[in-house]
Amino acid sequence: MKRWAMLCCAWLAAFAVQATELRDDRGVAVQLAAPPQRIVSLLPSLTESVCALGACARLVGVDRYSNWPASVRALPQTGGGIDPNVEAIVALRPDVVLLAGSSRGIDRLEALCLKVVVLEPKNHADVQRVLDKLGTLLGVRDAPAVWRSIDAAVDAAAQSLPPGVQHTRVYFEVNNGPYAAGESSFMGETLRRLGAKNIVPAALGPFPKLNPEFVVRANPDLIMVSQRSAQGMEQRPGWAGIRAVREGRICRFTPDQSDVLVRPGPRMAEAARLMAQCLADKALP
Amino acid sequence: MLLVAALLLLALGAGIGSTGFDSIWRLRDDPVALQIVRDIRLPRTLGAWLAGALLGLAGAVAQGLFRNPLADPYLLGSASGASMGVAVALLLFGTSPTSTQWVVRLGLTGAAFVGAVLAVLLTLTLARGVQQTLRLLLAGVIVGVVLGAVKDLISIASVDIMQALTGFMLGSTGLLGWGACGVMAALGAACLLLGWALAPLLDALALGEATARSLGLPLPAMRAALVGVLALATGAAVAQTGLIAFVGLAAPHLVRSIVKTTHARLIVLSALMGGLLLMAADLGARWLIAPQELPVGVLTAVLGGSYLLWLMHRRGARGGAA
Amino acid sequence: MSALEQARATTLPALEARGVHARLGDSPVLHGIDLALAAGRWTSIVGPNGAGKSTLLKVLAGLLPHGGEVRLWGSPLAEVPRRQRAQRVAWLGQGGAGESSADDLMVHDVVMLGRLPHQRWLAAPSAADLAAVERALRSTQAWDWRARPLGQLSGGGRQRVLLARALALEAQLLLMDEPLANLDPPHQADWMDTMRALVAQGSTVVSVLHELSMALAGDALVVMAGGRVLHHGACEAPATHAALESVFDQRVQVHRVAGHWLAVPR
Repeated sequence: MKRWAMLCCAWLAAFAVQATELRDDRGVAVQLAAPPQRIVSLLPSLTESVCALGACARLVGVDRYSNWPASVRALPQTGGGIDPNVEAIVALRPDVVLLAGSSRGIDRLEALCLKVVVLEPKNHADVQRVLDKLGTLLGVRDAPAVWRSIDAAVDAAAQSLPPGVQHTRVYFEVNNGPYAAGESSFMGETLRRLGAKNIVPAALGPFPKLNPEFVVRANPDLIMVSQRSAQGMEQRPGWAGIRAVREGRICRFTPDQSDVLVRPGPRMAEAARLMAQCLADKALP
Repeated sequence: MLLVAALLLLALGAGIGSTGFDSIWRLRDDPVALQIVRDIRLPRTLGAWLAGALLGLAGAVAQGLFRNPLADPYLLGSASGASMGVAVALLLFGTSPTSTQWVVRLGLTGAAFVGAVLAVLLTLTLARGVQQTLRLLLAGVIVGVVLGAVKDLISIASVDIMQALTGFMLGSTGLLGWGACGVMAALGAACLLLGWALAPLLDALALGEATARSLGLPLPAMRAALVGVLALATGAAVAQTGLIAFVGLAAPHLVRSIVKTTHARLIVLSALMGGLLLMAADLGARWLIAPQELPVGVLTAVLGGSYLLWLMHRRGARGGAA
Repeated sequence: MSALEQARATTLPALEARGVHARLGDSPVLHGIDLALAAGRWTSIVGPNGAGKSTLLKVLAGLLPHGGEVRLWGSPLAEVPRRQRAQRVAWLGQGGAGESSADDLMVHDVVMLGRLPHQRWLAAPSAADLAAVERALRSTQAWDWRARPLGQLSGGGRQRVLLARALALEAQLLLMDEPLANLDPPHQADWMDTMRALVAQGSTVVSVLHELSMALAGDALVVMAGGRVLHHGACEAPATHAALESVFDQRVQVHRVAGHWLAVPR
């Protein structure tokens, strides 16, 4: 069945003139005759990247978790990233579908002769790479400029911090596991660029599930956590002794702010600013 | 027989000091850290034992009540009820932390407990009483599936909720404090006493329902009480530690493989065995990839499952006696 | 007065059924049964398959809902307190499915379950309980197995243990459904002797039996077919023999052989 689909798509593609070609994150070469005018995005960070490059108007469908900018909320929702609604996507007649590698719909969508570009930004360098690739795909030439301004804004946020804030030891909790954001995660990288130290070393991976004892032992100066996970943090056994808990140095981010912080996308600068604000407010004695 | 189990318990219990990612002797130099760690490790290990005991007790009751060796404490929909309770609580917390005050105070653990008990009540209503076992089991399956679907619906609404729920459903002994231990100990003692007192019903039921009735036992009342014990024990454990699979299923089997006895003893021994199992799994979860943690449910499955597999293999090799 | 004299002197039937109807699911099984079973006798209920024998026994034991009235020694069964009924009426059901979950229990524990109606709640077994269990196990030749799990016994051995469980109650009335299942002839004969001994002491035995010759060894016979009682009379009486032969469509003949009545297939 798959072979027939491949043949069919190859036959159709033979009639197209190769205008744009790029290699996506799978290493697959994707060819398009013209810059796509109808785009479906199944990853919030990719949605935001497309809009940052000024091509928001070309989006015809997004996943249910994409919520920025506000205009995309009016677009038809085609399922989630992991569980896309294939029928809805096909009904929108997109020129290209953007999604992450972990999505289950890739094979199905390709079998239906849709152009699929897999991009999955996981850290700062990825954001630049994804912006470049999207720039190539969309035919937008100032992608590098967009990246430079984002990058510069992050540096500016770092510089805006008062000197005493450097080397604050931070614990970023992602989830109630407790799952922490390590040095090699996106949030960890942002923290590092701001000059703060992460109590979770890179050796433990990007999102390790920690023994709560570890956090108590590490005694962080500041805790960053989403509002939802923050419930009952002070009541966790032994945690009342942690410096950050004792002195009330906990930054609780709203769901919207959490979205900004965890998505490796063009809003990185805003993420850096949010963290810098938190550090400026709560890190100093 | 009882002594063997108790001794094994003590031996492992003495090992709690050497867990964690640091060795215990470094601890003696640092009195403050020592105190903190005792505040975490001791209640956690004790809590794991208590939760395991509750689950083992519930498993023995379930297997006796339904006369089915594959029964586990989550049969009457309590697992799905607890998950749904947590999902609903997460949903409500998300809208505004101060909106529904009593829900906030109840907390996630309270939500899980309420959810579990409500699910069992729903199952009982659907089955119209505890009279017919088959109807009860069927109702339990239905309630489990329906509540599970509701939970899935809620979790799709937000990635946050989905993540938190997955954490809950994997089960964790990580955040057990003295308060949790207290609650579990109180409920555990009550359930154990009640279960032990009602155990003759389970023995009589094993001979057939008509025989049990002919022996003058008030079947409906006792059965209802046993279902109550099941719901309470399961709800208490799930509320504190999330869904830890396999302990309730494996503990009675493990006990039966060592000694054949009446249900009164079986319930007590299953509780001890369950406590042992979960405590061992908790130690392993903490120690194997320190300072990271494995989900404790994975370890209970590995520990309990591999022993049961070995038992099956041994029984098969012997040719399967009558 | 001893129990024996009491039983013989009283004219009160041990069990009485008046206008009893019963259904299994949707279908009616018993149609208006009127029966009076004398105390101190061994009565057997016989009949072809589907006659409603087991159902009748269950109704008499108070284990099934029914229309009409059942009286236990003159008092309506429904008014007898549950515990008292359990102490005075021992019931042994048809074995097979459902017994398998008792495989793990030791023989001694199984028989001790029979003492439940006599035991105080949460009390340990008394000396009287232990003695009763021993007597029961010895009378069924199962005493040597008392420490073995039930699952290790053969079908016949199991049946003997279950019989012992019913005997351990030391009740005045024994209701037994197919008690001879899986028993080989020597043990069937032992059971018969035990029943005779019990009756001689004043107990009342009612048994549903497929083994017609065994049934004829008792005192009285209730012949059933199609949910109704066709005949109730002494085992010796020719009328009873005629009823027996007719209910099996004359495929059975009753002969006297060596002092016993035997029912032989034609």
